[in-house]
Amino acid sequence: MKKFSKILFVGLLTIVMGCNDAIDIRQPGRLDALNAFQSVDDLQQGLLAVYNQWDLSPEIALASNFTDEVAVSFDSGGQGFALYDFVLNAGSAAASDFWVRNYRVNNRATLLIEAAANITPEDATEQALFDDVLAQAHAIRAYANLELMTYFSPDPTDDSTLAAPVVDFVAPLDYQPLRNTTGELWDYINSDLTMAASMISTQSSPTFLSADGINAIRARAALTRKDYGQVASLSSQLLASYPLANQAQYQLMFLDADNTEVIFKLERTLTDTYDGQGTTGSVAAGGWAGARFAFVDATITGGSYFEMDRGLFNLLDTNDVRYDVSVAPSSIINPNYDTDPDPVNTDILIIQKYPGSEGKPLMNDLKVFRSSEMLLMLAEARVATNNDLTGAATLIKQLRDARFGSAQAMPSYGTAQEAYAAILDERRIELCFEGHRYKDLKRLGPAANRGVDRDPTDCNAQSGACTLAATDYRFTLPIPIIEINANAGIGGQQNPGY
Amino acid sequence: MKLKLTWLMTLFMAFVMQLSFAQEKTVTGTVTAKADGLPLPGVNVIVKGTTRGVQTDFDGNYSIKASANETLVFSFVSMKTAERLVGGNSAINVVMEEDAAVLDEVVVVGYRNQSKATSSAATVRVSAETIENRPNASFVQTLTGQAPGLNITTSTGQPGGNSLVQLRGVGSINGNTEPLFIIDGAPVDEDNFRSLNPQDIASIDVLKDAGATAIYGNRGANGVIIIKTRQGNFGEGLKVNYNGYVAYSTLQDNDYNMMNSQQLLTYERDRGNGAGAGNSQGVFNPGNGTPLTDAQIAAAPNFDWRDFFFRTGVTQSHTLSLTSGSENTSQFTSFGFQDTEGVLQDSDLKRFNLRTNVTGKSTNEKFRYGANLSVNYSKSNEPNSIASGAINRNYVLGAYQSVPYISIDDYTNGADLLSPLSFTNTPLFLYDRLLTYTRFEEEVKAIASANFNYDITDWLTAGVVLAGDYQSEFLTRAEHPASFNALLFGGAENPTSGFQQQTTTRQFSYNQVTSLNFNKTFADKHTVDLGLYTEYFKAHFRQFGYFSNGLDPKTFSPGDGSGFIAPANGLFADTANAEILNAGLFSYFASLDYDYDTKYGFSATVRRDASYRFAGSNRWATFWSVSGRWNISNESFMDGSAIDNLKLRASYGTAGNQDIVGLGYFGGPDLTEDFFATGSGYGNANSIGLAQLGNRSLRWETITSSNIGVDFGVWNSRLRGSVDVYQRQTTDLFQSTPLSATTGVTQQNANTGELYNRGIDFIVDYDIFLPKTEGGFKLNVGVVGNYNETELRDIPSENGEIIGLGREGGILNEIFSLRYVGVNPANGELLYLTADGDVTENPDADNDRVWLGKSAIPEWNGSFKLNIDYKNFFLQTQFNYVLGVDQFDFDYSDAINTDNVSQFNLSTDVLNAWSQPGDVTDIPSPSAANRNSFASDRFLKSADFLRLRFASFGYNVPAKFLENTGLSNARVYVNGENLFTWTEWRGFDPSSLGGQRSYPTPKTISVGFELGF
Repeated sequence: MKKFSKILFVGLLTIVMGCNDAIDIRQPGRLDALNAFQSVDDLQQGLLAVYNQWDLSPEIALASNFTDEVAVSFDSGGQGFALYDFVLNAGSAAASDFWVRNYRVNNRATLLIEAAANITPEDATEQALFDDVLAQAHAIRAYANLELMTYFSPDPTDDSTLAAPVVDFVAPLDYQPLRNTTGELWDYINSDLTMAASMISTQSSPTFLSADGINAIRARAALTRKDYGQVASLSSQLLASYPLANQAQYQLMFLDADNTEVIFKLERTLTDTYDGQGTTGSVAAGGWAGARFAFVDATITGGSYFEMDRGLFNLLDTNDVRYDVSVAPSSIINPNYDTDPDPVNTDILIIQKYPGSEGKPLMNDLKVFRSSEMLLMLAEARVATNNDLTGAATLIKQLRDARFGSAQAMPSYGTAQEAYAAILDERRIELCFEGHRYKDLKRLGPAANRGVDRDPTDCNAQSGACTLAATDYRFTLPIPIIEINANAGIGGQQNPGY
Repeated sequence: MKLKLTWLMTLFMAFVMQLSFAQEKTVTGTVTAKADGLPLPGVNVIVKGTTRGVQTDFDGNYSIKASANETLVFSFVSMKTAERLVGGNSAINVVMEEDAAVLDEVVVVGYRNQSKATSSAATVRVSAETIENRPNASFVQTLTGQAPGLNITTSTGQPGGNSLVQLRGVGSINGNTEPLFIIDGAPVDEDNFRSLNPQDIASIDVLKDAGATAIYGNRGANGVIIIKTRQGNFGEGLKVNYNGYVAYSTLQDNDYNMMNSQQLLTYERDRGNGAGAGNSQGVFNPGNGTPLTDAQIAAAPNFDWRDFFFRTGVTQSHTLSLTSGSENTSQFTSFGFQDTEGVLQDSDLKRFNLRTNVTGKSTNEKFRYGANLSVNYSKSNEPNSIASGAINRNYVLGAYQSVPYISIDDYTNGADLLSPLSFTNTPLFLYDRLLTYTRFEEEVKAIASANFNYDITDWLTAGVVLAGDYQSEFLTRAEHPASFNALLFGGAENPTSGFQQQTTTRQFSYNQVTSLNFNKTFADKHTVDLGLYTEYFKAHFRQFGYFSNGLDPKTFSPGDGSGFIAPANGLFADTANAEILNAGLFSYFASLDYDYDTKYGFSATVRRDASYRFAGSNRWATFWSVSGRWNISNESFMDGSAIDNLKLRASYGTAGNQDIVGLGYFGGPDLTEDFFATGSGYGNANSIGLAQLGNRSLRWETITSSNIGVDFGVWNSRLRGSVDVYQRQTTDLFQSTPLSATTGVTQQNANTGELYNRGIDFIVDYDIFLPKTEGGFKLNVGVVGNYNETELRDIPSENGEIIGLGREGGILNEIFSLRYVGVNPANGELLYLTADGDVTENPDADNDRVWLGKSAIPEWNGSFKLNIDYKNFFLQTQFNYVLGVDQFDFDYSDAINTDNVSQFNLSTDVLNAWSQPGDVTDIPSPSAANRNSFASDRFLKSADFLRLRFASFGYNVPAKFLENTGLSNARVYVNGENLFTWTEWRGFDPSSLGGQRSYPTPKTISVGFELGF
């Protein structure tokens, strides 16, 4: 019986001691929500995580793949064919990426803003830092919502249309909102921008949002809403601080070695989250900006799957520094491409806007706001506000003078439409592969009588998807299926055409 | 002489004993077998109603103390138990009869063994004969088709690769769906058996219903597979056994009809695109714009890349085992070595195994112990990026899609492939990788268990089982700096690109079951067994490694660090990683079994379980089961019937699945919590960001099973088998619940919804001919089958549908897609159906999709077998079948994708593409506007198949030839695996779920022999 008691004792011991160490386990390295943000320094580190959610590569991919910036290149493995053929629907990556990504940014920024409410800065230095962090969080959130506005509101200038839900709080997991009106979403964006502008203390910084960067967002927002008075005032103000780059500075800018005309850019560096190829041929891109066009590098041996649309190439003058920046020297240029039996292999226009930096091919900082965009915004505003065609022409000449490095002829426009068309064409050259073309066509295409206009040699080699009117419903993205699956009500508010 | 000695002994013993004790005397005797009259060693001789017992020695002799009024019970495996009253006898000789009906008498149920007759659970035993000598690196693959309801899918041809094991359908959506595997009492990682030697296995029991599995509570929801390894016997001389075989594996071919060079070049010329058209950038006929002439095409070389990337894999396997036993100890020791080449280049497995199993007991047999230790080392080359679309990394893609006019002779070095960079050179990129890329895993795996039992009284036993499973895995991966890939991604600026990665992962789990068992028979007919148990489980995961960027080609060698480049401006920055995870479970439980005269039986179990996963929500849960049986054949009214075994069983109960994320011990360790994480943020600076949103209401998935079954045996069990009907209901399914993106996430996994698996299992064996004389003709046939259907309920979405999962009342993983109906003869565009059934070229990619009632989960699976023994020859065959599986044949869609022209090879089917109005064909025009626009069911094909999974033909060398050779037995055999497959599926392997460009399981032929000394 003694042994029996011993066994019983050991058994009981197992129950009492064994139990908790096996089932009450805290894994090492966990940071719970309560301890995450306890100081202003923590908030600043939180802000870096919010910044890290901000990406331009989807805009770059959508604008180039869907419009007339690229053509299918000789090394294509089928990347992006559907979007090139204008196939865009509620199941497309474009719809889900723009929706999900921007709401994620909105959520992460809001989390930080709410966490900040529990922290009291200890002195004036901390207060300034605290305000700067909050200002940037509000501005990033505004930018995300501006993107939702641009891509999901069928008409951002009409406050009564439906835009996207306004979510200015950390939504509970069962939240299933319906779309707010464009007017309501503008109110949210503008309140964030006003807040940001009032709290920011840094005037200028190339890789973090400063007072200038926030003003640039405000200018872009005003442009999207066609509030041209505001556009004119903000853009001319920024243009004064950020002169156009000269030719050398311009080239260095795309090697990430000059910031003369950079108002704000997103930094991309070695071994960061975006240091990789991303998803090639998809709007859900991520990764190196240059990997939207090539697998390996921006030369003819770099696995180019999208090359430059020949129509865009034809707009470039070899004396224009933008030719040097956008077209790789290793390109094969065939003047008789339109009669050549095999233009895919004999006329290869390698895109070089993202040649790489820090020794890493295709990896470059993402230019969000440059002063040349401000100039082109101002030109658009001049035409729109008081039909100042000469004023617009003067600005275009100013830009070309800088890009050619010599005085260019003064253009002259007979009508507003002509001026808009010229501005749009200039934007196509100046801002190519920077993610503007899709939204530019949506905003300005109808007034300029411009749409997607691919070179027939390129598009006919595919399925013949050569032109698309800027009034087409596909210039507004559909509410994605992934949202409708979770939020059935919003499925009844789908954008027209889908 | 022998007789005389026995006599003397008996006399002597009797004398001595009579002096010592008045009433208890020593009984001696010899036990022989009726069939051949030879003495039987190892027969258990027990005094009935006591624990006093001995075993017969080599000569069949025994000696035991007993009183005149006691009865001796003689029992031996596969013999009818005999009882003799001692009475006035001091010598009792027994002749034992064979009992054909009880060959697989013992079944393992829960933590105890029961006789087959007194078990009320649905279990199947797979014996060693059907596992040993089969040329599969992992024994799990061998189980295919051997037990009804057990569906095993092996989707990789990698030697020792993991298989998906599912019992009675799919019990979970995201959680673990595989059974619990227990080897000699040690619960082990169910995904890693590559290091274990199948030749050591003695038996495998498959526990299916709640009656059997509820006692495994927290891990038994998907069934339990109990593996016992070989043991020695007490009182047995040294036996040495050697098994060896050589196997040759080859690719199971596809039916895609790929083009040869002449066909492909002509097609390219016609399409004006590719080497045939003179505008390729590849190494063959690089573009000058001039199409090839007929003569040039005829002269083009043909190189079979499939034959190059896939080879004949040679395997050799050797196992040497030694068994022996003395009076109170026995041991089994085995040494194994196996070297398996996969059919894919650069895939192989080498392993060394050592196992030693020891059992022992005290002289009075009250204390018994066993220890099992297996230490294994394996090294395997395992190519990665299999199934990916990476033309520079996936060898399988190179085998399936490479153009035949480029040959191995076109390869010079990686640098030469950089310019011009052409997809057409895919096979050369891959050949370069084969030469310059290293990836291997080394593994040390040790499984140790020990069990101790002590009979406190003759009705009370205390026991403990301690078990550990340790595995340590080292991964080494390196890309040579001079390789094409390193040069390609490094660019000219970085001539010292390339990388090396090494990771070590250690995992240890410890399991302890402490038990107390009461077993008593009342009034001869009522037997009660009550067990009380606690189970403690703890597991630890440790991993660390580095990723070193930049290698100097002068000093680099895979696995060595001499070539590492110092980081320059972050370009060659190295990264390090480390991770610690811990897991644990704790349970206490009880089982009760009652038997009345082997006629009626009742069992019940109840179990309280706690899992570390639900510490923040619902830590404890209770699972239970009840089961009963009626041994109809033991009723008196069945006397004289041809039916010698008939048993009706029923069970009902619950079991929990705590591995709700399906990632093993450590997956989803604290999903109940909200977490932030620190790490790389904007500009690669350290940041604090949201990492996880917790689910506060997390709990166990519960599977409630009901089972009704019949076991039967007719005509002395010549016809035997069992049939079971079951339902398994999984509640609180842990599954993705879509969330509005406005919450910052798009889905969260939560416990919601129900999944049903309903079906029928059966196994029937029939001995058509039984040998009348030794060496006579024996023919045995058998069938194993399972029908299973799944049904989803309470789907977590507004409309009762979740794409990818299924719909309310529908089957699991039902395919939701556009319906493709053909090619428009007028214009060569693809035609689809709208949701309403109208034909259209431009369906709505979203709203025209419909539920197709098809999925990749089989409805029927099982096997047929036919075994013949004649003289000393034997033939075993096993045909497996799987019905009701539909899968997308993406490899075929690649083979007929006309957009691949100039870059990849194509099926000759594309020659039938639409070219002019009126063409009726299934291949659209190469310029059809909608050819890339829609995903549809166009490539959804039936993957039903019947396969000659296994065949073995062999010869047992007769004993008379072995006299004076020192051998006790010898056998030679030829085995074949996956010999023939009958299927409509055109791809390589219909049984694979590996998807596109995957590594199929091979066809294998082996020759082997077995020697006993």
